[in-house]
Amino acid sequence: MTMHTNWKDLLLRFLLGGSAVVLSYAASVLLPWKALGGIFATFPAVMIVAVLMVGWAQGSARASEIARGSVYGMAGCAVCVVAVLYFMKTTGLWWLSLGLGLVCWYLSAFLIYKVRRSIKSS
Amino acid sequence: MVRLSLAALLLRFLFGGGAVVLASVLSKKLGGSVGGIFAAFPAVYLAALVAIRLDHTGNELVARSISLSQGALIGMGINILCAAAVGYLCAKRGWKRGLSLSIGGWFAVSLGVSYLLFSI
Repeated sequence: MTMHTNWKDLLLRFLLGGSAVVLSYAASVLLPWKALGGIFATFPAVMIVAVLMVGWAQGSARASEIARGSVYGMAGCAVCVVAVLYFMKTTGLWWLSLGLGLVCWYLSAFLIYKVRRSIKSS
Repeated sequence: MVRLSLAALLLRFLFGGGAVVLASVLSKKLGGSVGGIFAAFPAVYLAALVAIRLDHTGNELVARSISLSQGALIGMGINILCAAAVGYLCAKRGWKRGLSLSIGGWFAVSLGVSYLLFSI
């Protein structure tokens, strides 16, 4: 049962993640609204699948908790985007900006995770 | 005229889906605090960013990446609102209705914001 749920979970994540990147690409090529490509690139595929799977198995109250918890994860992702944008604009170096963006994401996500845990345990 | 090829779309679909699945599997395998952190890996954004390299190089690559990241920054703001809305609506109206309304809201707000940015 767990194995079956895992495969369903991964398949949904694959479909939504793939669709988001395709939508982002199609929007950036076909539409004059360039921001839309970037917005689609942040489609919350992982949060949606997590809420869907938990809602299905454990009900609305637990699904609501998962969605609230994902706000913290998204804050870490926003730090990553800000860092990539900043380094891309200041250095013009693509790989360096991507690497530093990942470092900033990990540090901010780690900090947010620790703060959340200490708030929960207090 | 700009055209989309099926191969380019398929490649991006596999790449985006693969990135999300890889981050999910890594998150479960690592477990603990590192696994918890990887559960919120920005896989779709990074996959979209890397996918730009398939078509562009040099200054054009950096310019396109900046454009994508500017949109992504707005998108992250919308996502945070969307997640808060899902949390609220799932508790008030049930997870099916709450999730559907929030995704619909995410789509409408994204289109509205893009339209406003384009019009101004």
